[in-house]
Amino acid sequence: MISHDMVLVFSKTWGALYLLTVFLIALGWTYWPSRKPMYDAASKSPLGDEGIQS
Amino acid sequence: MDSRADIWPCILAMVPVFILGIAIVGWGHDVAYVMHGCLIAAVVGWGLVWLIGRLTDPPRSIPFAYNDEISKWGIMATFVWGVIGFTVGDILAWQLAIPELNGDTYFSNFGRIRPVHTTAVIFGFAGNALIATSLYVVQRTSRARLAAEHVPWVVLVGYNLFCVLAITGYPFGITQSKEYAEPEWYADLILLVAWVGYLWLYLATLARRAEPHIYVSNWYYLSFIIVIAMLHTVNNLAVPISISEPKSYPLFAGVQDAMTQWWYGHNAVGFLLTAGFLGIMYYFMPKSVGRPIFSYRLSILGFWGITFLYLWAGSHHLHYTALPDWVQYLGMSMSIILLVPSWGSVLNGILTLNGAWDKVRTDPAVRFMMVAVLFYGLTTFEGSFMAIRPVNTLSHYTDWTVGHVHAGALGWVAFMTFGAMYKMVPWIWRRGSTYSLRLEAWHFWLALSGSLIYVGAMWNSGITQSLMWQTYDETGAFVFAFIDTVDAMRPYYFARAIGGLLFLIGGCIGAFNIYKTVNGPALVQPVPPRNGPLSLPAE
Repeated sequence: MISHDMVLVFSKTWGALYLLTVFLIALGWTYWPSRKPMYDAASKSPLGDEGIQS
Repeated sequence: MDSRADIWPCILAMVPVFILGIAIVGWGHDVAYVMHGCLIAAVVGWGLVWLIGRLTDPPRSIPFAYNDEISKWGIMATFVWGVIGFTVGDILAWQLAIPELNGDTYFSNFGRIRPVHTTAVIFGFAGNALIATSLYVVQRTSRARLAAEHVPWVVLVGYNLFCVLAITGYPFGITQSKEYAEPEWYADLILLVAWVGYLWLYLATLARRAEPHIYVSNWYYLSFIIVIAMLHTVNNLAVPISISEPKSYPLFAGVQDAMTQWWYGHNAVGFLLTAGFLGIMYYFMPKSVGRPIFSYRLSILGFWGITFLYLWAGSHHLHYTALPDWVQYLGMSMSIILLVPSWGSVLNGILTLNGAWDKVRTDPAVRFMMVAVLFYGLTTFEGSFMAIRPVNTLSHYTDWTVGHVHAGALGWVAFMTFGAMYKMVPWIWRRGSTYSLRLEAWHFWLALSGSLIYVGAMWNSGITQSLMWQTYDETGAFVFAFIDTVDAMRPYYFARAIGGLLFLIGGCIGAFNIYKTVNGPALVQPVPPRNGPLSLPAE
């Protein structure tokens, strides 16, 4: 039988850990130094000539 | 690529819908339901004839240019639905101030007309704005034409058919009584067909892109399309009682049904009215001010934050109900954490203006977008605050909720839409600028004063209601009868109706301005550079 307290403990421990992990993966993936040039180029992409290529 | 490649899939998707329309005409009992059958059969039948004509024509050459026709019609639909939605909303606001204005007939009942307002503004106005801008943005940022020639029309016409069926059904009592998901099963099926087409079109266009990286606006738009598909399908799992009646019963019952409904409801806010509009912000703001997003990486981190957290927050609509406490606390916690990515997006939007703040003064479209971001910041803070259970005892069931929703819907969604439209319309139709910057500025100030009056009135009325409801004498009895609290609302309801009227007048001026821009003279060629190059990459 699943009780309210069991779910609470589960979400407070494993739930928090899960969210923290997802956050760290997203943070690492986004801020990894070698990915910087790609994001810099992307941020300027709408500003230039937007001619059709394909 | 053969221009006719997508015709057979379109026909295969539309034939069942056509048969559905015929079946409703044949077996239906209620007049409104049969009329809906006629409408479905007529629109889809006309579409099938058009497609079959195209199928038997020789293949057309696909121009090497962006397909903006679909966005043009989407823009027009946005303004038509906007004016309808704002008008119905303000009529209701006046009726709440002066109840005699309601005709007191079964079809003008508040419960039947309110969803006309909400559907017209959320799905008609905001939904069409998202379709129009997303198909514009995905082509530009992918440097590629839409992946298909006919699917876009099935998407836009199918989507607007859904809106018309929804709105014309409510006055006759055709509703499944789920807030923001009122349309009955047959309209839901049509939306499903249109939406699957939209998702496929978006993905197929991204797959054709000439850019290595998918620009961040597309992430937000795509999350909006995917999540709405998921929410719409699950929340509308229902069994029609018969083909002869519009009525259906949901698959879930009781608190499970309530939780499903608010998982849907809150994520419609989170992904249609938030993620989709962040997609607009991250393209149209940098483009309008000629500066890149302040932090592109923050926009991506914010994307994952919003995507992961929003889906948990819906249960804050069901505080102190039969829903298990832990689910309520979960929704409350997630709503509070959600403030972090929300305000990250706010900062990112505002700081993008750094170095171009003069445009806020000189360009009403940029001013619209800047104020939209401020309202987004205000509303997300307020929303996280209201999701806290003790605060919710004060705010729930009062006009505070109505004020909160309109801070987001008027201040964020509509302001962002108007700002983007004032930019996109001259770009698409190749006009120098809009017809009148003065009218644009009038629209801005009318919309801003209207929104502030509206939201201010609802904060006051909401808190007054709540405090009066919770005033007890020394024996624990209520001090005020419920009707006393209704009577106390009079000045606030008048103020709201006036605020709504200002917003409506602004919207009409905006629609007129767009109409004149579209009908105005086109640029013969792009504006020649006057002093040096027209655009320099911003640093």
